[in-house]
Amino acid sequence: MAFKLGLFKTSVARKNVMAITGLFTAFFLIIHLAGNLILILPDSMFPIEFWGNVANQHDMYNAYSHFLVHFWPISIVAYILYAGLALHVVDAIIITLTNHKAKGEKYVKTDNSTSTWYSRNMGILGTIIGIFIVIHMGQFWLKYKVLGTEHDLYDLVVRTFKLTWVVVLYEIGIIALGFHLVHGFTSAHRSLGMYPKSWMKILKYIGVCFGIGMAVLYGIIPLIIYFQ
Amino acid sequence: MALNAKEPKGPLKDKWRLYNEHKNLVNPANRKKIDIIVVGAGLSGGGASASLAELGYNVKTFFFQDSARRSHSVAAQGGVNAAKNYQNDGDTIYKMFYDTIKGGDYRSREANVYRMAQLSVDLIDHMTAQGVPFGREYSGYLSNRSFGGVLVSRTFYARGQTGQQLLMATYQAMMKQVKKGTLTQYNRHEILDFVLIDGKARGVIVRDLVTGKIERHSAHAVVLGTGGFGKIYYLSTLAMNSNGSATWRAHKKGAFFANPSWTQIHPTALPQAGDQQSKLTLMSESLRNDGRIWVPLKKDDDRLPNDIPDEERDYYLERRYPAFGNLVPRDVASRAAKERMDAGHGIGKLKNAVYLDFRTAIGKLGVDTIKERYGNLFTMYKKITGIDAYKEPMKISPAAHFSMGGLWVDYELGTTIPGLYAVGEANFADHGANRLGANSLLQASVDGNFVLPNTISNYLADEIRTGPIPTDTKEFDEAEKAVKDQIDKLLSIKGKTPVDRIHRALGKIMFKEVAMARNEKGLIWAIEEIKKLRKQFWTDAAITGDADGMNSELEKAGRLADYLEIAELMAIDALSRNESCGAHFREEFVSDDGEAERNDEEFMYSAAWEWLGKPDWKLHKEHLEFHDIEVKTRSYK
Amino acid sequence: MKITLKIWRQESAKAKGKLETYQLNEVEQDMSFLEMLDMLNEDLAVKGERSVEFDHDCREGICGQCSLVINGQAHGPESHYTTCQTHMRSFKDGDTIFIEPFRAKAFPVIRDLKVNRDSFDTIIQAGGYISAFTGNAPEANNIPIHHDISESAFDSAACIGCGACVATCKNSSAALFVSAKISHLAKLPQGKVERKERVEWMITAHDEEGFGSCTHTGACAMVCPQEVQLLDITRMNFEFNRALCIS
Repeated sequence: MAFKLGLFKTSVARKNVMAITGLFTAFFLIIHLAGNLILILPDSMFPIEFWGNVANQHDMYNAYSHFLVHFWPISIVAYILYAGLALHVVDAIIITLTNHKAKGEKYVKTDNSTSTWYSRNMGILGTIIGIFIVIHMGQFWLKYKVLGTEHDLYDLVVRTFKLTWVVVLYEIGIIALGFHLVHGFTSAHRSLGMYPKSWMKILKYIGVCFGIGMAVLYGIIPLIIYFQ
Repeated sequence: MALNAKEPKGPLKDKWRLYNEHKNLVNPANRKKIDIIVVGAGLSGGGASASLAELGYNVKTFFFQDSARRSHSVAAQGGVNAAKNYQNDGDTIYKMFYDTIKGGDYRSREANVYRMAQLSVDLIDHMTAQGVPFGREYSGYLSNRSFGGVLVSRTFYARGQTGQQLLMATYQAMMKQVKKGTLTQYNRHEILDFVLIDGKARGVIVRDLVTGKIERHSAHAVVLGTGGFGKIYYLSTLAMNSNGSATWRAHKKGAFFANPSWTQIHPTALPQAGDQQSKLTLMSESLRNDGRIWVPLKKDDDRLPNDIPDEERDYYLERRYPAFGNLVPRDVASRAAKERMDAGHGIGKLKNAVYLDFRTAIGKLGVDTIKERYGNLFTMYKKITGIDAYKEPMKISPAAHFSMGGLWVDYELGTTIPGLYAVGEANFADHGANRLGANSLLQASVDGNFVLPNTISNYLADEIRTGPIPTDTKEFDEAEKAVKDQIDKLLSIKGKTPVDRIHRALGKIMFKEVAMARNEKGLIWAIEEIKKLRKQFWTDAAITGDADGMNSELEKAGRLADYLEIAELMAIDALSRNESCGAHFREEFVSDDGEAERNDEEFMYSAAWEWLGKPDWKLHKEHLEFHDIEVKTRSYK
Repeated sequence: MKITLKIWRQESAKAKGKLETYQLNEVEQDMSFLEMLDMLNEDLAVKGERSVEFDHDCREGICGQCSLVINGQAHGPESHYTTCQTHMRSFKDGDTIFIEPFRAKAFPVIRDLKVNRDSFDTIIQAGGYISAFTGNAPEANNIPIHHDISESAFDSAACIGCGACVATCKNSSAALFVSAKISHLAKLPQGKVERKERVEWMITAHDEEGFGSCTHTGACAMVCPQEVQLLDITRMNFEFNRALCIS
């Protein structure tokens, strides 16, 4: 059994952890996006008798937020998500350190034409995303859920996205996220061993669409609010 | 000393079985008390190492490459023959035996060849079990190819990389034994001498090529699987570091060297492009199935090949050998090309090539079919020459390829030194004066995996009481001193001519007079030139660096020093054989129509040379007897 | 052609190395890259200097012994070539060429451009074989293997073990090398018996030898002289996860 436990410390097992936590987080992005899209949908989209007495985008968004915070099964999922994200980060750090040890002396002359820059720099992209997440949670989650200083989340969101530096910061974070996803999605499936050639081709395509799609959809929300 | 081939008595087809029934064995408990040194890790040496280690002997394998997987067996392209008769085309073990003896121009030992044909069947099973991805039909059964010189399809292949795949299987079998602890591998180690105690091979002196340290290793028996010495021509299809030093130093310790001059010159290699060239890449013989070989009719024709109309082309193989055409055996094709080039019809910058043209085949079959059949070869051609052979003919040229000669061995693969064995291309057996395509992988693998592990026990059975062999004896002291002295001598020359330059000069002499066509005058000239060159080497070679540490110039110099002696013996051997047989073509001994003419009355023997020192040799003859085959003239007209 | 060479010179594994500059004035386009280095070594021999040590053997792209990083690219500028297949026609008159050894912790430099790749042997020793003893084999045609499966196994088995994948990988991972062997044997029925142990042992050996982990940049497959595919790594991961699940 000791040997079996040893297997979980191998490079492939560590990559599996990266893949599973990464894919789980990526799946969460879809849910998160669904909520966010409320912010940019026009009022006319919301029927009057929908979900109690909600009448407009403002109330709809706040009701949605309220639901997220106070419905307990969601909290459980949220904690799993936080744990997954933390594992993703810790594992990434361990892998990076091991990889660093594996490297020999630096090449004097380098040529990187054989791979894409974002596939080589997943760590840096991840760090940017990490910083972004911290700021993002400080701006909303901390104020709304933990401290309780803000009660109207919709109002907070609109106020925040009227600040130029915030929008710029968000766009950087989201672009990094896009590239991270383009490589990460296929890479995660490779790590998990989805080896049939036809699958891999499709997954590669899905990965690119997913990464770009997420970046575009997430990216336009702050812009729309900023220019409204 | 009389040569004893130790052929078992009995009918040809039962000899191997009878041998095995009567040989001595070593019991499994005793095997781990016995040390065996194997030199070389290709198909023969590696196969022997793995199989002996599986049996439980303590095996130490030495090789100069950084990994056993790089041994030169890796480069064999075409395939491996086996008398499986999967194609239902009437193949039998006897047919295969017959083809091999005939292909070798009746200059090989019947019993050995028959055994090789018998064991070929087991080899395919063995290699398949080891995971070799042989070519297969859609039904899932093994597929075969046809090769030159035979009338059946018996060649098994793994694309154009059969040698690589067989070697990988052998290498993996070795690695498995390394893990088990029965095999110790010494990579980047070169054998420099052999230690004989009471006339038996008892150890080796090796140089660690990384640290330069000279080491002693003892064993109850020593096996050589060190391949051929075709690199003596400098330009050859062999690897840069392939060498004849291990066999040669064994020869100088008393092992007879047989038929050294028989070297196969392969007709379809890429020609030399410049003076600095180091290697001639082989293009598979299979290209001759669809390619037509020609030269311009006019001498020194400088037009581009596609500008020369058909009536001004000389398809000389089709002209001279209407029956076999472009598919004549290797020796014949090479000689015919040389004849045309000597007559001034050679093409290319150095006038050293002939055209291999696919225009007719492309016209008939279409580019796609040709691409499917030879795509990888055309790509390889383009990688090396930069030329697209779909658009213009390939330029090809003969190149030194395989040494049929080697250490003389008996039926048990033992040399004339008791306890010293030679397997694969390092020995002289099986191929006679010319080797058939796809027989070299076979011989190497069979020798290493099936023959040697069975025959060596007959010798080792008497060694179980010997106990460990100490390395601090005076025999080891002397051998080590001799090795160190030679290294010091090489490093003290401090001359001005780089080693490679001398090797190139040697190659030129050898390729001119001791290759495809030989004559008395040329051979005598060559012997004198070789002697001169040897003197130049020992007075003017520029060998830099030092002995303690990695020094590839020193390695090359040591090998060249041996080549300069082997070369002389090759010329002497060629001079002593007043007949033409197989690859050995003496211009004085030809039939009326210019073809090779054997002299069975006087030369039906293998020439085994004994070293007498400073170089001088004594000839011993092993007379060949053919009981199961009718001796005929080879004709491809 | 006039060529300036910047070649890594290093006495031993422990010594510190540096780039040295050499000049060659009579290089020809038809020369192979290694013949150009032969030429340099002849010049050095005449001058009485120690030659540049570099690994090479078959010079036809199959033995896997040659191992240079040329201008930052393993095996030189052409993709899927070995160094010995690279010719000087890929360079221009007046070019400066940087030549460095393969670099990875698991490939320590021996001298100059020669590196120690014993770790590859160690990985194969861990399980890169089928344990069929000589003499054990059944009749070859007893196990029919579909043409395509056999060919696909060949694609993986074609690996020449040169180590260009490691030299190119930003993490110095040998995943492509390991996966080529695992895939080759896992695809064939003969190799399926030991597939679980094989993948466990080989991956453990890979990590113990100090190689990094695979991040699927695909650079390895781009330089691989035998065009071993990135898909093999995925296959290896599958085999590994399968082994984890069934244990």
